Amino acid sequence: MTVTTVSPPPPPESRRQRRRRERLAARDSEIPVELYGLPRGTVGLLTTLAFGFALFTLIPIGWILINSTKTQANIFETFGFWFASPFEFFHTFGLLFQNVDGYGTFIQWFGNTALYAVLGGGGATILAALAGYALARFRFRGSRFVFYTIIAALLVPITALSIPLYLTYAKAHLINSIWGMVLPSMISPIGVYLMRTYADISVPRELLDAARIDGAGELRIFFRVALPLMVPGLLTVLLINIVAVWNNYFLPLLIFNINTKYPLTVGLGLWSTRAVNSGDANLYPMLVMGGLVTIIPLIALFLILQRYWRGGMLLGSIAN
Amino acid sequence: MPAIELENLTRVFASGVTAVDRLTLDVDDGEFVVLVGPSGCGKTTALRMIAGLEKITAGTVSIGGQVVNDVSPRRRDVAMVFQNYALYPHLSVYDNLGFALENAGVPKAERDRRIRAAAAALGLSELLRRRPRQLSGGQRQRVAMGRAIVREPRVFLMDEPLSNLDAKLRVLMRGEVLRVHRSIGAATVYVTHDQVEAMTMGDRIALLNGGALQQFGPPAELYARPVNQFVARFIGSPEMNLFEAALDADGALALGSQRIDLTRRPVPGQGTPGQAVPGKQAPRRGEPVIVGIRPEDLALGAPGAPGTLTAEVRAVEQLGSELHAFFSIDARQAGDQTGGASDADQDAALPGQAHNGVARLDPRSGIRPGGRVTFLVDPARLYFFDPATGEATGWPAAPAQAPQAPQATQQASAGAGRTRSG
Amino acid sequence: MRSSWIHRRDRRGVWFVAPFLLGFLLFMLVPLGYAIYTSLYTYRIIGGTSFTGASNYTATLQNGLFWNGVVRVIIFAAIQIPVMLVIAFFFACVFDLGVAKYGTFFRTVFFIPFAVPAVVGAVMWSFLLEPQFGPFTRLASVLGFSNTNFFGPNLMLASIIVIVIWEWTGYNMMILYTALKSVPRDVVEAAILDDTPLWKIIVRIKLPLVRPAVVMLVFLNTVGALQLFTEPQILEYFQQGAISVNYTPSYYIYQTAIAADETNLAAAMAVILAVVIVVISALSLIVRRRRGEFA
Repeated sequence: MTVTTVSPPPPPESRRQRRRRERLAARDSEIPVELYGLPRGTVGLLTTLAFGFALFTLIPIGWILINSTKTQANIFETFGFWFASPFEFFHTFGLLFQNVDGYGTFIQWFGNTALYAVLGGGGATILAALAGYALARFRFRGSRFVFYTIIAALLVPITALSIPLYLTYAKAHLINSIWGMVLPSMISPIGVYLMRTYADISVPRELLDAARIDGAGELRIFFRVALPLMVPGLLTVLLINIVAVWNNYFLPLLIFNINTKYPLTVGLGLWSTRAVNSGDANLYPMLVMGGLVTIIPLIALFLILQRYWRGGMLLGSIAN
Repeated sequence: MPAIELENLTRVFASGVTAVDRLTLDVDDGEFVVLVGPSGCGKTTALRMIAGLEKITAGTVSIGGQVVNDVSPRRRDVAMVFQNYALYPHLSVYDNLGFALENAGVPKAERDRRIRAAAAALGLSELLRRRPRQLSGGQRQRVAMGRAIVREPRVFLMDEPLSNLDAKLRVLMRGEVLRVHRSIGAATVYVTHDQVEAMTMGDRIALLNGGALQQFGPPAELYARPVNQFVARFIGSPEMNLFEAALDADGALALGSQRIDLTRRPVPGQGTPGQAVPGKQAPRRGEPVIVGIRPEDLALGAPGAPGTLTAEVRAVEQLGSELHAFFSIDARQAGDQTGGASDADQDAALPGQAHNGVARLDPRSGIRPGGRVTFLVDPARLYFFDPATGEATGWPAAPAQAPQAPQATQQASAGAGRTRSG
Repeated sequence: MRSSWIHRRDRRGVWFVAPFLLGFLLFMLVPLGYAIYTSLYTYRIIGGTSFTGASNYTATLQNGLFWNGVVRVIIFAAIQIPVMLVIAFFFACVFDLGVAKYGTFFRTVFFIPFAVPAVVGAVMWSFLLEPQFGPFTRLASVLGFSNTNFFGPNLMLASIIVIVIWEWTGYNMMILYTALKSVPRDVVEAAILDDTPLWKIIVRIKLPLVRPAVVMLVFLNTVGALQLFTEPQILEYFQQGAISVNYTPSYYIYQTAIAADETNLAAAMAVILAVVIVVISALSLIVRRRRGEFA
């Protein structure tokens, strides 16, 4: 009756076995579905509905994937969801590297977008980290006021802000300036809000006090003590801001009028209007191909990073 | 027919860990059974299997004589008090108490009556309009209990309901829980890691370790007749002193360089301490043995008198009501047989730890650290354990019976080898 | 009485927020101020720019076209946001409870449109809904609805609603899913032991606990919906004349500023639009305050 049990160490396992075990363990940690008392077939029905919405989600992407291989005529005339000959993928892809009809070079727009996104997103993350950390861990006069102002800033609609920016730039001769795009992108009120929440959760005050007693300066404390603890939040804010700059349309539409400076969004918009009017039979395929190339990097980024970023932090603090 | 019956109840998680291993016990109607053990011993998992919140890998749970493995927790007529209370955060106390009754379609008047009755019994009548976040920890705990009471269930389950309360409140609430239990009269299974709660509250205690049941019985039995070292250590505070010793050729206990005469034996059948489960093999002459003596069973004695143990005092804790003397003798402290190291065991390995025993003495004893002390050891209050298995053994054969015992043990050893099966 | 060391230390915090605040000043406050300043002037070919006070504002307030656009986006928001949130909450619940298979896969797929810029989304759907050649148009005629014009006056707004739902449902769903996941497990277990039916668990236990997230989403979505611009503009490229110049306020402002080059008037319109949006979205927050915070 009095048997003592010591669990044996688990045997070495393959990756598939490990993933299976993790999946089962995850299911162990959730409430078993049977306890909800659902009628038979509910799971099947819901899975079908989810599948339906997944189809809805993927239809445009599937379309753009398939039709990037077609000629203009085929795009409009053949069945949208299957291939047709001739297979023009590589030809069209090649056109992205050229300046077709003077309407702009796709690859240059891609470079622009990447530049704006990295600079703007990176800068936004740094500024947000600094400000969020300070708001969470320092009690200086006016810090409350600053925080409320930032919340209020979230209220301000982006479009309403872009026209004033355009006017200001026009006056200050900043039209077509890269910094005109990057610098406003570094101001991310939601980034500050998220970093403040995250710093509050993950940087213990005692740790900072201990560092101060040890004689470290504030900046040093920020970089050596606080920042490493905020890394997951940093990554989330970075991702959000990169996506925001990458997808931004209205601001660059206003402040750029030479197409060498366009980001992808504006460039594709330009092609949309030109494709209808011009007789060049390459433009529609290039538009489709351009759309495809634009979305691939971000989708790939998401898929790769989703292991590290469950979205929990960002979405959790928004939800709170 | 018992209210609850567990038979070989087993739970193995997908990660391969066996949380509960063939647990078998029963709870009678109106009985208060405590599941106790260190963290991770499986007690909460077992409780949740009774409730139906945890899948059962093997074995059966029966409630009221009916096997309920496949019965949904909704239908088992069990109520549970959770460790963190699990109150519905945005409902008032009144609605929290009445939620289950609402679901069951109990008419409003009857619902109101039962809610108010439970609230009155728990002192919550003033708080019915409040929300959980406006309540103190103790108040929330009472609401959690009230929620279970209004359902008038067949079975009560409680998962460490007092462990989030501060010490004084906990002592107070122990009595409250028992009072409520007696007034309701339903079978109750109560989980705790605190052996004091277990000893003071349980009609019977089930002590678990590593998923396996160690001993199941009334508190006095676990205290007086522990079936193995683990039980002996777990019950009682400070824990029992356990030493590696041996029986010398004369049948006396050789403890380090000292000897304790075992002539004075406990009277059989009178339940005195040290009497192991009948039928156990007695330790044999010349063999090593683990001997245990509780700190409260050590009294001060005159140096040099027979049946005494001399020790060096390393440290003294003066509690006012009693004095704890930390001493060391030249015997080795017995290791933990169970294979799992608790936090306390790991701390015991700290360097500079000089003592290997504790004694509870009168606060006016005048014992000082650095001095020597002589303890009077009542051999009738010694416990003996097998060094190989950790299980309690029978009392060593008295010197008078010496001729018989060796024959018996020799036959046994010839037949069954050295194994001592339980 | 706080020690001076703490005071000094806290004041250093100002330096940390300074870069952000500086940018905030330069790129939010200054432009807003300049826009307001500009709106008080008017440019005439004869006479140049002169101070006209509130005339741009009165002109806008009396401009039926502008307010038509405002009404249109309000209708748009009133339909698009609830439909999208219902779908998002439905699936968030399904995945949180685990009552459908392949939950992780579906959640990933649903989130993909977040990685797609609105421009590209609008382009893709423009092709799909194209009134003469688009696959969906063909599908409609196969189903018996010949001559469906997704860009015609009847269906244009509906088409835009579908596009925006496509773009944003995944994001909203993820936020609701995360909020649902943070409901303490033992509260749900207690509800199960109390024999609570699933619908009641969702509506009376989970939903109230995720209310803050829902409110936040209504707010964010409203602010976004009222500024609708990209999708109508791209659709206009594909089907000229489908979008009137005043289709949405943001579009009207854009046209006024760029096409008609009336920047002063556009500035006034932008300010008015900002005020309208702030008022409407602040209302949603006040509603939240009144109903009270939940534990």
